[in-house]
Amino acid sequence: MSPQPQAAVGAPLSRVDGRLKVTGKALYAAEHDIDGAVHAVIVDASIARGRITSIDTRDAEKHPGVLRVISHRNAPELPYRDNSGSNNPPGRRLRVFQDDRVLFHGQPVAVVVATTLEAAQHGAGLVKVEYDAEKPSTDLHEAEPGKPTAYARGDADAGLRDAAVRLDLTYQLARNHHNPMEPHATIARWDGDRLTVWDKTQWVMGTRDEIAAVFDLPADAVRVVSPFVGGGFGSGLRCWPHTIVAAVAARETKRPVKLVLGRRQMYFGTGFRPSYAYRLRLGSDRRGRLTAATHEIDAETSSYETFTEGVMAPGQMLYSMPHVSQTYRQVPLDVNTPIWMRGPGFASASFVIESAMDELAHRLGVDPIELRRRNEPSEDEAKNLPFSTRRLRECYTVGAREFGWDRRNPRPRATRDGDWLIGLGMAAGVYDPGRFPAQARARLHADGTAVVEAATTDMGPGTYTSQTQVAADALGLTMRTVTFRLGDSLYPQTGPHGGSSTMASVGSAVVDACDRVRRQAIELAVEDEESPLHGVPADEVVVRNGRLHVRGNPARGETYRSLLARHDRSHLEARGDYAGPPTPQRESYNAYNATFAEVAVDATLGLVRVRRMLGVYDAGRIISPKLAESQAIGGIVGGIGTALLEHTVTDHRDGRIVNANLADYLVPVNADVPEVRAIYLDGEDNAGNALGVKGLGEVVQVGVAAAIGNAVFNATGRRVRELPITAEALL
Amino acid sequence: MHPFSFTKAASTREALDAGRRGGRYIAGGTTLVDLMRETVERPEALVDIAGLPLRDVRVTERGGLRIGALVRMAEAAAHPKVRSLYPVISEALELSASAQLRNMATIGGNIMQRTRCTYFRDVTADCNKREPGSGCAALHGHNRTHAVLGTSDACVATHPSDVAVAFAALEATVHLLGPDGERRVPFADFLLRPGDTPNREHALKQGELITAVEIPALPRPLRSGYLKVRDRQSYEFALTSAAVALHVRGGVIREAKVAAGGVGTVPWKLPAVEQALIGERPSDRLWAEAARHASDGARPLQHNRFKVELLNRTVERRLRTVGGMK
Repeated sequence: MSPQPQAAVGAPLSRVDGRLKVTGKALYAAEHDIDGAVHAVIVDASIARGRITSIDTRDAEKHPGVLRVISHRNAPELPYRDNSGSNNPPGRRLRVFQDDRVLFHGQPVAVVVATTLEAAQHGAGLVKVEYDAEKPSTDLHEAEPGKPTAYARGDADAGLRDAAVRLDLTYQLARNHHNPMEPHATIARWDGDRLTVWDKTQWVMGTRDEIAAVFDLPADAVRVVSPFVGGGFGSGLRCWPHTIVAAVAARETKRPVKLVLGRRQMYFGTGFRPSYAYRLRLGSDRRGRLTAATHEIDAETSSYETFTEGVMAPGQMLYSMPHVSQTYRQVPLDVNTPIWMRGPGFASASFVIESAMDELAHRLGVDPIELRRRNEPSEDEAKNLPFSTRRLRECYTVGAREFGWDRRNPRPRATRDGDWLIGLGMAAGVYDPGRFPAQARARLHADGTAVVEAATTDMGPGTYTSQTQVAADALGLTMRTVTFRLGDSLYPQTGPHGGSSTMASVGSAVVDACDRVRRQAIELAVEDEESPLHGVPADEVVVRNGRLHVRGNPARGETYRSLLARHDRSHLEARGDYAGPPTPQRESYNAYNATFAEVAVDATLGLVRVRRMLGVYDAGRIISPKLAESQAIGGIVGGIGTALLEHTVTDHRDGRIVNANLADYLVPVNADVPEVRAIYLDGEDNAGNALGVKGLGEVVQVGVAAAIGNAVFNATGRRVRELPITAEALL
Repeated sequence: MHPFSFTKAASTREALDAGRRGGRYIAGGTTLVDLMRETVERPEALVDIAGLPLRDVRVTERGGLRIGALVRMAEAAAHPKVRSLYPVISEALELSASAQLRNMATIGGNIMQRTRCTYFRDVTADCNKREPGSGCAALHGHNRTHAVLGTSDACVATHPSDVAVAFAALEATVHLLGPDGERRVPFADFLLRPGDTPNREHALKQGELITAVEIPALPRPLRSGYLKVRDRQSYEFALTSAAVALHVRGGVIREAKVAAGGVGTVPWKLPAVEQALIGERPSDRLWAEAARHASDGARPLQHNRFKVELLNRTVERRLRTVGGMK
């Protein structure tokens, strides 16, 4: 078929759902008005390990409005079928109300269902739970690690021994929580043996399958609806216990039940970016050519599931070197299970590797960008594959030019502005974007409008808008005449909305579906004697603004409307498919960035303030520049948080999270976010999707913390290897 | 939240009657309602005093300033007399909370706000302030933001207010009205150090109402300012803070008023720093030497050791900035 003119793709459009959002008409999980819904509030465990010895629910049950208190003493036995193909990590997932064991502080131990939210909340406070508490183990540094995952090439120990320059550095990375604006929430309604769930999730199909597995239902007996998600950052990538609790409560009370996690409960009711202890040894020759690295990586996981993420990948492929050895150990703790958080694994590893590269550059007296250029690999040395596209050099060049890198004084503590020490830093970033099989359905109506559907999510990046752009161009329609629908498990199946996979995966399926519909219309026209396009080779026909015409001859053609009317067709419809990346992989496919930071550090008070940030991205083709810029700003803001503020604090005496609220868990506020600029390199990457995109939601956060840390070093001469970097490290 | 009754007081008399019967006063509600939601506070009866005529700011006969207890933080911060006479008060207020909170919260409520100690705010944790005798989880827990001055083994929580630090520095007086009439309490005596009874936080008697905070007249010209040090640039409580007011005449410091926040169980007046300044000529050396006394008597905990040095530096910085003003 003739390539379609691209009018919407690449245009800096505003969000198609923007008006709905700012007028409050976009319905988030807890906002769906479900007739007869009652309210559920979870009672959380106040110990981190042990057994429940008694639960006194009498006062709660007597409280006006309370319908039922459910705990392990009276909860139905749940099948909890295995759910392979889910995002549940290996292990035995938490089974709500199935026994008296407490596995982490905050674990649901009971739920109070009441006719009003107030009654349910108060009722939850009236439930008296007694425990036989055991001493919990929640400290990554004190606990016994599990078996390591290992990677090796060459002989890293020998390589280090022989290296002219050696660094041996240990880093501590704090636990971070996603803290999306919208709390996690579920409304569950049973109609006989069928269950409908309105849920905050990044994967309606995943939540559907997990619920079906837990209750041992056929998958098609469960429907999950999630049209709007108020931020996710990964926290919605699996079905959490509270969703099951809501479904149990609804079944037991025979009423639709709404359950909203409180902000405090978000710190143990959903996962988190695990804390890390990461020792990196790096060896190079005198010119800075890396020769060897060993990575000893320890990360938190729960006692009941083994969570892993891509923390090993950057150490294998970001720089060229013959000798690498890595161990990655999960340390089981009495905590709930972590989950992927923006730039999962890569963001954590990049802080370590990119901070170390800065140390090496300083040690050698080489410019940090030059050091990176000297270690640029010509292929992926772990996969032994060529890169599809890798334009990191261009990122450096553009970034250095646009940021004014040449004005950086390489000598630390050399630039001052009153009480402030000024520093510039940079870091490279990489992310291996996900690509999942996906399907979509496109339907062109007789009135010339179209509806495209896929069971994906829009947690904020703008899926509604960007998929509409893709569909509009593939159908030859205007943005206004195309509606994209998502967030319903009845729509064609997709993978999770995470790992920067959505545009490559769902977008490819959308293009396929729309191409098929367009082709049906073109074939209808060219075979139709009454059509002005009769006899034209189908490949010669393009569609613009809903009108089919001969390429290069807009005068000869007709509209979808006239075509469908003449054929008495109410609509044309097709399903589209994306099968996932080619297997075996023929190319190493990654998105890259160079991130630059200017910070000011108060010379005596130790406060760090970011002054400027720039990210330059090699992310393939950019479908929606305005959304992409918003993504970059969001990623950089997230990186500022990780670098300077965010730290979930656990009291290891009893496993309690001490700062489970947004006054004490600090995220950047407007005043912390300086001038942020994003530059996406023009171009595309056709390694495995029709759109030429790479995905960008993760890579924009990778490297940000290191760039800031390196700028802090340039400002102060202090190297801080513990995140977040706070005043006490700089006094 | 526990069930409670709610009445609006139409007059000061009505408020006092309700207060005498055990009612808790509520004005802006920005602290109390939060704590009720967390069930840290469980009042049975709330008495809304927001309608009482305690909202004026006026210059006293002696040239001091009287700020009504129900003046909103935002109103006080913007008031021309506050800005011109005591910039330290405006600055402390503007560095507090968020714009939305400052539009609701009152001066009286601000000085009555309770600690941000996370163990105090978590009803499942031990806290002598919340439940006398239960113990202090913060003493050997996570105590990075806790106090280093005025602490006891029973409690190490800071007083969170910024403007109270300015009031302490300026030696304000709290005007109270109770069933037995009016009385005035020096600010230094109004907020109580924890000792063995951290649940007792202030000098108010049952049913007493704060009607105003009065700042005494101070010799003019008076330079003043507030510095707040915190991890986040806005919307966070102080790690350390310093309120400074200086009267310099003939090249000599004649009057010095200094207090610190974020470090004490109450806003921490710094008489030793003041004494080191009075009678001296401003110089960078003087600021540093005087500020060294700021942490006299500090008793740091496991995670807040840095506050001792940070406090000295915070006071030094504010002295230098205020002292160096033209």
